[in-house]
Amino acid sequence: MSQQLIQLIVSGLAVGSVYALVGLAFIMVNEATGVVNFATGQMVAIGCFLAVTTGIQLELPLVAAYPAALAAMALFGIVFYAVVFRPLQDRPVVTVIIGTVMIGIVIQNAALITWGSVPFRPRSPFGRQVVDVFGASISAHALFVIAVAFLMIGLLYVFIYKTAIGARMRAVAQDRDAARLMGIGVDRMFVLTWVIAGLLTGTAGILVGPMWFADVNMGDPIALKAFAAIIIGGFSSVPGAIVGGILVGLSEMLGAAYISSAYKDGLVFLVMILFLLVRPQGIFGERIGQRA
Amino acid sequence: MKPQRNRLALAAATLAFVLALVLPAFVSGYGIRILNLALISAIAVIGLNFAFGYAGLITLAQAGFVGCGAYLTAILSTALGLPPWLSIPAAVVGTTLISVTIGLPMLRLKGHYLALATLGFNVSFVIVATNWKSVMGGTDGISGIPSLTLAGWSAATDHRYYYVLWLALAAATWIAWRIRYSHIGLAMIAVRDDEIATGAASVGVTRIKVQAFALSAAYAGLAGALFAHMTNFVAPDDFALSHSIIYLAMLIIGGEGSILGAIAGAVIVTFMPELMRDLGQAYMIVFGGLMLLILIFLPKGLLSLAGMVGRRLRIAGR
Repeated sequence: MSQQLIQLIVSGLAVGSVYALVGLAFIMVNEATGVVNFATGQMVAIGCFLAVTTGIQLELPLVAAYPAALAAMALFGIVFYAVVFRPLQDRPVVTVIIGTVMIGIVIQNAALITWGSVPFRPRSPFGRQVVDVFGASISAHALFVIAVAFLMIGLLYVFIYKTAIGARMRAVAQDRDAARLMGIGVDRMFVLTWVIAGLLTGTAGILVGPMWFADVNMGDPIALKAFAAIIIGGFSSVPGAIVGGILVGLSEMLGAAYISSAYKDGLVFLVMILFLLVRPQGIFGERIGQRA
Repeated sequence: MKPQRNRLALAAATLAFVLALVLPAFVSGYGIRILNLALISAIAVIGLNFAFGYAGLITLAQAGFVGCGAYLTAILSTALGLPPWLSIPAAVVGTTLISVTIGLPMLRLKGHYLALATLGFNVSFVIVATNWKSVMGGTDGISGIPSLTLAGWSAATDHRYYYVLWLALAAATWIAWRIRYSHIGLAMIAVRDDEIATGAASVGVTRIKVQAFALSAAYAGLAGALFAHMTNFVAPDDFALSHSIIYLAMLIIGGEGSILGAIAGAVIVTFMPELMRDLGQAYMIVFGGLMLLILIFLPKGLLSLAGMVGRRLRIAGR
């Protein structure tokens, strides 16, 4: 393989695993609470900027800056639950879509006022270090992104499928009323879901910062790719989000290099629309009996 | 009670339209431009009301269709030298054809899937407009679009163009009104209320959805074409996804499923930034927050507030 191809594949995997994290945040919320959260991208941006605040503006070392930013994102998830989810819960799909879009606008402009319109360049724990992989120089940060993303996904898997709280969350996702009758604190599970969404988007924001600039408008493009990823993977499927995210990341990088850099985003949406038309359930399909 | 209320609404609407005729005399240069933009948005939002308000289709592509209309008339009237009164109808027809082409496959999708697919269309439109430099001009857009001239009367100034837009909006409203109470309008509402039952009554559900989608795109195309001949210039930014969201916001603020609500919402939302100019950067925060409050507390829009007041008055008057 040529050196350039290896570089493209690694950076595609890195960007793709960020999309996978965002897609997972989207799916977790949609599965557990039935809300399609169109403010997911803005949550990623907030995560990225919280790391800017802790890491650049407060000059904390990154080992402290990252956990502090993630803790703030967990709190943000709780605020989101209280301010946005509770009032919009059980409203028609369209109300929720427009409502979360509006919240996204509020968040984005609050970020603009807080952090200004000049982009930041967050540091990576690995600086500009490069690693030799099969004779190609690969940015160490890209490998770090892939490792952390998959660590997060692994932790999420263990949490959801191997712990008692995870079982309760799945019960709520399957049948809210039955879960309530079984004595599960449904509202507490909802809070937990939003906290997890905050952590997943926060991690995505922290990881993507050093790859791109931290820009207050970064949310929408990332969310759009994550939407495309989960459409391709399957709207409610966890492996689907991962495979879809990586496919989108790879096609973005390889498409930009070999087909057209101007149309790389158009390419992603073309694939997404084709999937919607030909196989709307995505690669991994959607469970039967979904809320429409 | 229903026909009586309709007559009341009709009287109020007619009065508003007549009052709007003398409005330019009291409005200065900048204000009339905003007013014109409000009228153009109103046409696009009346269109959106067919798809979203009547047929219940969540579409985030309206700004993309407005863009199709604007660019079609821009290309036809600059590169091909067509006069505007020919290029505008051509742009409307072209936009409608585009919407049918993408609507036929896309409208099989429902709910958030349709929202995402139409969102993808709108984003793709901007990508193409930004990168297809030879035809659509890229980020520079297309300039030198001629102003409207009819039989020697030029509508080059905003004050004059206002009357053109007023006429267009009045016609668009009247046609929308007729469609609303025709079998097509009733079928759309039936699809929204119960798709399965409507299908069972052997009404072609997909056909009705495509009709609603095409109507909404036709109105968007008209709005876009009228916009292009007012600003004499089009660029991708004016047709971005955020504008689709604003159109939807206008319809929800005014009251979905209502033609007058669509117009009221378009006017209110267009003037909102002017009224809140003192807020500066915080404006969009307040706007988003207000929208959320309306969604939560007035899900039927501001017009439902007027309806409630009206009912109170009638009860009090008895």
